Amino acid sequence: MLRRALRLGLGPGLLGRGLGTHREGSTLAWDGKVSEIKKKIQSILPGGAWSPLCDTSHLPPEHSDVVIVGGGVLGLSVAYWLKRLEKQQGAIRVLVVERDHTYSQASTVLSVGGIRQQFSLPENIQLSLFSVEFLRNINEYLAVVDDPPLDLQFNPSGYLFLASEEGATIMENNVKVQRKQGGYVGSWGQTSDVKEEGAKVCLMSPEQLQKKFPWINTEGVALASYGLENEGWFDPWCLLQGLRRKVQSMGVLFCHGEVTRFVSSSNHMETTSGEKVTLRRIHEVHVKVDRSQEYQPVECAIVVIAAGAWSGQIAELAGIGKGPPGTLQGTRLPVEPRKRYVYLWHCPQGPGLEAPLVADPSGAYFRREGLGNNYLGGYSPTEEEEPDPGNLEVDHDFFQEKVWPHLARRVPAFETLKVRRAWAGYYDYNTFDQNGVVGPHPLVVNMYFATGFSGHGLQQAPAVGRAVAEVMLEGRFQTIDLSPFLFSRFYLGEKAQEHCII
Amino acid sequence: MLKFIIPTIMLMPLTWLSKNNLIWINSTTHSLLISFTSLLLLTQSNDNNLNYSLTFFSDPLSTPLLILTMWLLPLMLMASQSHLLKEPLARKKLYITMLITLQVFLIMTFTATELILFYIMFEATLVPTLIIITRWGNQTERLNAGLYFLFYTLLGSLPLLVALTYLQNTTGTLNFLLMQYWTQPLSTSWSNTFMWLACMMAFMVKMPLYGLHLWLPKAHVEAPIAGSMVLAAVLLKLGGYGMLRITPMLNPLTEHMAYPFLMLSLWGMIMTSSICLRQTDLKSLIAYSSISHMALVITAILIQTPWSYMGATTLMIAHGLTSSMLFCLANSNYERIHSRTMILARGLQIFLPLMATWWLLASLTNLALPPTINLIGELFVMMSMFSWSNLTIILMGTNIVITTLYSLYMLITTQYGKHTYHVNNLTPSFTREHTLMALHIIPLLLLSLNPKIILGPLY
Repeated sequence: MLRRALRLGLGPGLLGRGLGTHREGSTLAWDGKVSEIKKKIQSILPGGAWSPLCDTSHLPPEHSDVVIVGGGVLGLSVAYWLKRLEKQQGAIRVLVVERDHTYSQASTVLSVGGIRQQFSLPENIQLSLFSVEFLRNINEYLAVVDDPPLDLQFNPSGYLFLASEEGATIMENNVKVQRKQGGYVGSWGQTSDVKEEGAKVCLMSPEQLQKKFPWINTEGVALASYGLENEGWFDPWCLLQGLRRKVQSMGVLFCHGEVTRFVSSSNHMETTSGEKVTLRRIHEVHVKVDRSQEYQPVECAIVVIAAGAWSGQIAELAGIGKGPPGTLQGTRLPVEPRKRYVYLWHCPQGPGLEAPLVADPSGAYFRREGLGNNYLGGYSPTEEEEPDPGNLEVDHDFFQEKVWPHLARRVPAFETLKVRRAWAGYYDYNTFDQNGVVGPHPLVVNMYFATGFSGHGLQQAPAVGRAVAEVMLEGRFQTIDLSPFLFSRFYLGEKAQEHCII
Repeated sequence: MLKFIIPTIMLMPLTWLSKNNLIWINSTTHSLLISFTSLLLLTQSNDNNLNYSLTFFSDPLSTPLLILTMWLLPLMLMASQSHLLKEPLARKKLYITMLITLQVFLIMTFTATELILFYIMFEATLVPTLIIITRWGNQTERLNAGLYFLFYTLLGSLPLLVALTYLQNTTGTLNFLLMQYWTQPLSTSWSNTFMWLACMMAFMVKMPLYGLHLWLPKAHVEAPIAGSMVLAAVLLKLGGYGMLRITPMLNPLTEHMAYPFLMLSLWGMIMTSSICLRQTDLKSLIAYSSISHMALVITAILIQTPWSYMGATTLMIAHGLTSSMLFCLANSNYERIHSRTMILARGLQIFLPLMATWWLLASLTNLALPPTINLIGELFVMMSMFSWSNLTIILMGTNIVITTLYSLYMLITTQYGKHTYHVNNLTPSFTREHTLMALHIIPLLLLSLNPKIILGPLY
């Protein structure tokens, strides 16, 4: 009763300091004092989180059903779909642990932000198809009461892949697969028996290419595939903030900390053929608070690794990969950070507003940025010239020596350009086959992965989040079957490789 | 009665002076032996109560409850072994001491002759329970839960103290045996109304009655397993036992005063059963089902017919064993998966088949399957309520259907269906856990062969 009275007192009538500042003079200090006293009383009464002995409000809760390590777009997507697919509201307690709340090194916000369906693996195509449908209807998926709608700034300008003679056959086969993908991708507002068209991609010969994009130099190009619909680029920061806002409104707890330890227990068991395996189960996650030695053991039932470029380190903490090499126990999670540079330049005579994201057969790519003749682009270095991923310093000579020649060759207007800005970001690079790792680990029974997408994680994040949530709640993939992306492929040696030109 | 109390008190030095690896074995075995001696109380030589002294007595109402209480202590000790593994030795001994103190107070409550001794022990049981909930519970919400539990019960029972002092002053005695013959019929005046309320509210809060039940889901869910067991099995029955003792002194006022509480209980049964269908937390589901069963007991006690009294006492014993078993099962789940959410641990029958049998039996007894004593209790209550008013059959029938629904829902969600991936390597069930479940269900099933010992004094 007392508590209700106090809460009414702290309601719209007396907003404490906020309203107090609008009043004048002598009543100001008194109102502030009264509201502070009320706040103190309210926190002491049962139900308040204040404890006189030590204040633990900065620590995560002692127990959470699911702990998601990593608060980037993949982690938030998993949290969103978990909350969306749980059968009753508030059934599962989810905690997202993020080390850096400014996302200064996160791959999500440093990404170029492109989305395409032009992959060769059907699973990748389906993931991108659902993701673009999610992004188109983002204000229905991520609507929060009383908050403004999201403006993703989705530019549906498409992707243009150029192929030389050698790559032309691969490109044709890929386009066939892309066109075939369709069927029910579980989209919002569609009836279940409408068969969706697959990706809309058109193949162009060099003459058609020259006619459509006169600024391209078609030397060395045998075939081009141009995505007509559902491809382009968007603002990843907006997606991240939208997901964050929605996920917080659905009741997911955020924690600012770093995972330092997993406490687990092992079970020695035998398979049906008599082999001995050791299955492990994680009981607790130790989350260390920033800039302090304090940590909180969070008791959990499930752990999801969505830590992006640092997923390899987190997996090692959990003991994945500690064993004789060549066995399932010794199979590491092969995700490591790789630094990629993105350069922003200005070219007054450059391609116009219709320019898609052009991917050269050499590996260089660029896209239009904004309306002022600015362009973003980069180039994936070869294995030997991989930059050191220790920091995010930009190497400007890389642009001069490696990127510019290819750009200038492909688009003659780029011979005169001026680099305005540059930054570097990490790929969560899967050294095995450069595609994502999704799903449970065969030995650590309650650990799930949603990482390792090597540069196309952002565009597949909504669909991957849904897939992981389905495996956690139902036990299997229901809408998009991502079994080729399970962890066990690292041990079995089955590469899910993209036969793409880049 | 001292032959139970003194050995139980002596369990405390036994715990503190035992060798480190023997504390559990010693305390469990000795408490089991003491519980066997409680069966002696079943032989009543005549219709009067079995009087041991001026302070203690036992009659066919308190005997089954006493046997239940003493049977539960070894079970609680067995259930607590796993979650106390990592604690330092002194804390383990402290925990066991809390349980033993609680046991002593409970024995004295159920056998007290003087109502003041009953009241003191009634309040004294709150202290060890509060300590167990707030110190050894699992989440941060346990502090809140402890406060709710303590203050609800204290505020409810303070008027009882006043009423008992008043009765002592007017009647000259609070000895239960004398009170039965000495009380005057109460007329419907305001002061008598307040006295009726004062006497009954403590027990209504304890049962709990539907409007005053908020403490129960919190306390049951946040308590450790032994706390949940003793709360569900015995502490709730304290309220029922108190009501059964006090109502003979409040006639004929009960016929008028009972109406609002009857309505609350009848409606509350259906409400709490329906809430069970929407629960995602397993322990919370079992806690709400406790409220639903106890609402039946309240209605039975308030209409004061011989059949309803028999139904109430049977239902109390049956529910005690069933609820305690369900909490033990939920705890065995929790110790493996570290989460109480039901949808995260599904399809367990494939991994733990024998535990699935116990789940099946517990769910079947919870939904009052014939010929268990749960059914006997519910049936007696239903029949007496029907004869009190024909319309109650609609509400009670609905309640039985919804009880079946949520018991089966709980069973199907946890045991059957497709399992999720992360339940792959559950540690197999321990023999200790199987013993625990067996020791719960065997008395329950055996009692269906001879239910007359739990049918209470009016049989």
